[in-house]
Amino acid sequence: MQPLIEWQAGTVTEIRPETPQTKSFTLALPKWTAHRPGQHYDVRLTAPDGYQTQRSYSIASAPEQVGELELTVERIPDGEVSPYLHDVLVPGDQLEVRGPIGGYFVWEVGLGGPLLLVAGGSGIVPLMAMLRHRAAQRATLPARLLYSSRVPDGVIYRSELVQLSDRDHALELFFTFTRQAPEGWTGYRRRIDEAMLTEVIRPFEGRARVYVCGPTLLVETVANALVRMGLPTELIRTERFGPTGS
Amino acid sequence: MTDFPVLSAGPTPHTPLDRWSFTIEGLVQSPVTWNWDEFQKLPTQTVTVDISCVTKWTKLDTKWRGVTFDTLLQAVQVEPTAHYVMAYSDGGYTTNLPLDEMVNGQAFVAYEFDGKPLAPEHGGPARLVVPHLYFWKSAKWIRGLRLMERNAPGFWESLGYHIHGDPWKEERYSGD
Amino acid sequence: MERIEADMNTALMVDGNAVAGELQRIFGRDMTMAVARCAGCANEAEMGALMAFTRGPGVVLRCPACQAAIARIVETPSAIYLEARGATYLRLAAQS
Repeated sequence: MQPLIEWQAGTVTEIRPETPQTKSFTLALPKWTAHRPGQHYDVRLTAPDGYQTQRSYSIASAPEQVGELELTVERIPDGEVSPYLHDVLVPGDQLEVRGPIGGYFVWEVGLGGPLLLVAGGSGIVPLMAMLRHRAAQRATLPARLLYSSRVPDGVIYRSELVQLSDRDHALELFFTFTRQAPEGWTGYRRRIDEAMLTEVIRPFEGRARVYVCGPTLLVETVANALVRMGLPTELIRTERFGPTGS
Repeated sequence: MTDFPVLSAGPTPHTPLDRWSFTIEGLVQSPVTWNWDEFQKLPTQTVTVDISCVTKWTKLDTKWRGVTFDTLLQAVQVEPTAHYVMAYSDGGYTTNLPLDEMVNGQAFVAYEFDGKPLAPEHGGPARLVVPHLYFWKSAKWIRGLRLMERNAPGFWESLGYHIHGDPWKEERYSGD
Repeated sequence: MERIEADMNTALMVDGNAVAGELQRIFGRDMTMAVARCAGCANEAEMGALMAFTRGPGVVLRCPACQAAIARIVETPSAIYLEARGATYLRLAAQS
């Protein structure tokens, strides 16, 4: 049986800036249920006149973080929900949420690896839940993250990702920058393409569980390339976030 | 054009102009089809329109150039039993309209927006524009109009949206 | 999927994951893993992998192989409409 998802009021316990455009919101939920990494929650705002609007946000935290939920949200300038979360919400406030939702774009240690995670921009959020879960379970299955950002300070969770990778030889990180790379950068400096994917996936010898998440055009490009490279389609899972926010 | 809402039911069709055609058929004495070159030769009008969107009230002044439905009707002989029109588009989209709400300049097939060829993502090569009804009636990627005797619901009208769709009467959903 | 060109319309497209909450409300269980068989081309895909157009008057879920409409959802103040004639079937895992 699956949990019946219903709206509940979570309490904001912490708000942490991640990058100039993103913040992480930690919520304590009265009816918390363990989610599966990759799932999301719906967030609903109700205006004084009764007007309601809702958006879906991927869960950033691992299910091992019991009782709490972390959502990392990019501020969309003309958005209906994200500006409220960024500009108005403070710790102690309540937020209506519903979830956890989704069964397709999920990964748990039990599904095995090796694992290739490909992210563009805020697409890193559900993949971070997967990596945090993998670390909490002390899993040793090989994992590689290929993360595309426009500029260096757009890399969400950068220091935590580096820490995770430093402590775990089975986790390797690959960053690519599409507009401006850090000073002295010797890594990738372009949009993800087939050549880059071929290099990153090489040690997995054409067989890995792949999760791709980010702007639709990036996901389309990556998924098409992986299929052309001969990866079995049943091993590729995708989540399209729509247009890029920035 | 970045403020212009892109509301689609499907991916952008990319019909090449040398394969594009526009047809008036149904309750007419004989159907007529124009290819792109022929269509471009029809007399046009430039119209500035205030767009009402069904998903968000948007007041946007938009400038279109196209062929009025009246001009298109001159090429056919309409049967007296024709009262409604089904507009149909590449990709399978359809929407229905009353015939008497398309004549007298109330509807046109536009292929230029803001002085430039209508971009595919906004409905190009040509789209229907019916300013006085909710914007889902202004079918993108239009390929023809079929004249009918009885009203029949199109793509959204058959799934909860109002069969007429007059924003001034707040006819958004069926039953409104 | 290769035929889809990069334009704003494609950029706005998402996938079935985006309507997972709505589908769970309608069906009472997660539907992103339900496999839909396209009535047009017989392609089978999980609903989470279907193309989703969510910005219009309703939601249209399309086959990733042939782009035919598999299902449509409209929410009005008084009703939810679901039409899935574009699916030969939806195949769900038996629940324990």
